[in-house]
Amino acid sequence: MTLAAENTRPVAAASSGVSDEPSPEAPVRLSHVVLVYEGGVRALDDVSLSVARGERLCVLGANGSGKSTLASVICGLLAPDEGSVELVGERVCVSGTPDLEAYRRARRRLGLVFQNPDDQIVTSVVEDDVAFGPENLGLPRQEIAARVARELHRVALDDYVHADPTRLSGGQKQRVAIAGALALEPAVLVLDEPGSLLDVRGRSAILRVMGRLAKAGTTLVHVTHFMDEALEADRVIVMDHGRVALEGTPEEVFSHKDAIRDLGLEVPFALRLSERLGLRPTCSEDDVVRQLCATQSTSSRTSRPAMQAPGATREPGSRQGASAEAPVVSVEHVSFSYGPRTRALNDVSLALEPGTSTAVIGQTGSGKSTLLRLLCTLEAPDEGRVLLTGRDVSTRAGRRAARAEVGYVMQHPERQLFAETVEKDVGFGPHNLRLPADEVSRRVTEALELVGLAEKRDASPFKLSGGQRRLCALAGVLAMKPHVLVLDEPTAGLDPRGRAMLRRVLSRLREQGITLVQVTHSMEDAARADRVVVLNKSRVVAEGTPREVFSRGSEGRLASAGLGVPRSLRVARTLEDRGFAPLGEPVTTDELVAAIEAHSAKAGLGRDESARSNRHEGT
Amino acid sequence: MAFRLDIGQYYPARSPIHELDARVKLCCALALLVALFCLTTPAQLVAGAAIAAALPALARVPAGRVLVSVRPLVVFLAFLSLFNLIFVQTGSPLIALGPLTITSGGAWAAVLYAVRFALALVVGSLILLTTTPTQLADAFDRMLSPLSHVGLPGHEIAMVFSLMMRFVPTLADEASAIIDAQSLRGGAFDEGGPVRRVRAVVPVVVALLASGLRHADGLSRALDARCYEGGAGRTHLHEPRLGWREAAAVAATAALVALLALLGALG
Repeated sequence: MTLAAENTRPVAAASSGVSDEPSPEAPVRLSHVVLVYEGGVRALDDVSLSVARGERLCVLGANGSGKSTLASVICGLLAPDEGSVELVGERVCVSGTPDLEAYRRARRRLGLVFQNPDDQIVTSVVEDDVAFGPENLGLPRQEIAARVARELHRVALDDYVHADPTRLSGGQKQRVAIAGALALEPAVLVLDEPGSLLDVRGRSAILRVMGRLAKAGTTLVHVTHFMDEALEADRVIVMDHGRVALEGTPEEVFSHKDAIRDLGLEVPFALRLSERLGLRPTCSEDDVVRQLCATQSTSSRTSRPAMQAPGATREPGSRQGASAEAPVVSVEHVSFSYGPRTRALNDVSLALEPGTSTAVIGQTGSGKSTLLRLLCTLEAPDEGRVLLTGRDVSTRAGRRAARAEVGYVMQHPERQLFAETVEKDVGFGPHNLRLPADEVSRRVTEALELVGLAEKRDASPFKLSGGQRRLCALAGVLAMKPHVLVLDEPTAGLDPRGRAMLRRVLSRLREQGITLVQVTHSMEDAARADRVVVLNKSRVVAEGTPREVFSRGSEGRLASAGLGVPRSLRVARTLEDRGFAPLGEPVTTDELVAAIEAHSAKAGLGRDESARSNRHEGT
Repeated sequence: MAFRLDIGQYYPARSPIHELDARVKLCCALALLVALFCLTTPAQLVAGAAIAAALPALARVPAGRVLVSVRPLVVFLAFLSLFNLIFVQTGSPLIALGPLTITSGGAWAAVLYAVRFALALVVGSLILLTTTPTQLADAFDRMLSPLSHVGLPGHEIAMVFSLMMRFVPTLADEASAIIDAQSLRGGAFDEGGPVRRVRAVVPVVVALLASGLRHADGLSRALDARCYEGGAGRTHLHEPRLGWREAAAVAATAALVALLALLGALG
């Protein structure tokens, strides 16, 4: 493996005329790199960067900030237009002139994993896929077999050696891709948003693998949209318009909180919380808890906050007692299966009141997506019935009538855009309804204004940013004027700015009285809904307000469904477990902050009674 | 998803047929296919059917999986039979319905061609069910390598073919998602005249093309990142070995072809 690098070193040094030997201590060195795409977009603008051996570098930035381009340059797939690049000791690009042979040699020692696992898998057997890279390197058979076994073990997929990757979950596929990259024994592993298309479980599995790699001394370059993932890094850089805007340890970078927000990012949860509580700023959740415990006086330990935990979760299937309005959607004892063997849904009952928002949570394979397909008339139930605004959708005629009432925003709806302008794409539905041209145009205007894309009307949908593309797809559904909007993971894969935009639009829709149903992997999003429905193994296992569903009493049920609780609640419970006074059931950050403040106000009154505070050594 | 393409999907199992060298497997299948297309007598058809029935069992592939991959072509076979029934006018007339005369020759042709095709499909689908795209690509690669000597991209053709097989299910899933989304937005796939239906397909095709391009983009990034530089210099995890298994397969195929020929000579 090192053979190529050693042979060429003198050649590279001679050609560049620089005396200093390429340092093996820094496998990646970029100096004054400029990369311009077609149309004059400067994707990288004077970037200088070096990554030390064994370092874990995290690259943050909003959509279009140049971080993916940077990843491609670092793993030797793109050569810059200006500047010099040195990769694993090879001077691959000197003052904008690429040395293709050097690039070829360098690539053999660099690994890349990127967003979409489907695009990275080249064959139908896991083992063969991991072997693909080493085969291309021309390694002997025994060596390939040894590497395949070792890397599959490292990503905990030993049991899937002969499996078909297309039948694995997204997280497992991505682990196959990581194993495939590691089988090249790369000096640097570049991960370009490896978790952005995965659910929470898939993402945390990837993070565990990365943690193990970092511990083993692998040099990692990790591009991500998730701020909390950056906390594990040795160093963080934040990209903006092709430039390095911020650089430093995670704590240093996130301390520039205004700059972070201006760049379209957000600060990690723990830091936001510590700030709002007036604690010493910290990025560690554990530190927040320790600081709070330290400020706690003994007297307050006996006091009870005003907020009380409500009763246990309602049993599945029960209706909300005091509902005056007739439900807009009702699902009555519905069962459904795709094949003869397994049931995708088993005796599911739900009733959604008009104008409410409902979050459906559950693991991959719990039946969430099937439930959505039934709600939007794409499937008819095998047993039971689904009523949409009073119409039974088990008949073809009923489904057709109900289709006017319901809009469905699939996962990654932006992948389905097709028209040459935003206007035409959004107008597709109204046009199909054979509405007069002025009505179509009116609906397009309305929908675009709702999602805030009015000024992009004549643009090509393919030229929009990731978040805007999704909003454009959403506008296409809204132009059908649905009363019920069904969304499958609407925020998945978006950057913080895109997520925030989408959440704003959804709350605007709710104000307009549209009934929202969304499948989500984010417990924080679920906590913002009026009602939460928990699915596990094709059945509804809990249903109620977020506070009911996430109550202490149903923690076990959630855990057995493979789910956690919102992070605010997690912090509150950790505090309680460490002897802090009970804080009720704060499911959002606002509620948590309010509960803690209410508590410290009380504690402040009783402070003189207790001289001996700070039993827990804090700070 | 609502509609799944199951044609040519690899079915993982451990069986003598799975473990056979892909080149030998392809050659044996080819010999068998030629023999099946030369069947003419009822005795041969019965023998051919017995072979086609035994092969999935030998390959440990459930008969259902084989039938699923044959199913899309059943309509085609039905048409083929119908045409033979009506237009072949040899032999003695059996039934006369106005201008239509069905003859014994026509009836026999209807059966013969349909069965030949069905048997050939079973053998063909077994190849895809028991061979991974990489194995296929490598086999084609070696068999096409003479092409590379005359300047044709033998290896690349094989690789493109195998990647195509790999992306069939992915694109099928996406196509069904696009159709669902558009039919919820009033796309007329199951209503209106043929013109309207054809027109409704255009946005689906455009969206699917866009997604195909996205995959192509990602895939080329992945191939580069994993140092794929064409066939030269590639080694293989599963080193092809021509052993007793392959010899046995060749012998068995030869015996089966001989048997079919013998039955033809006797009949």
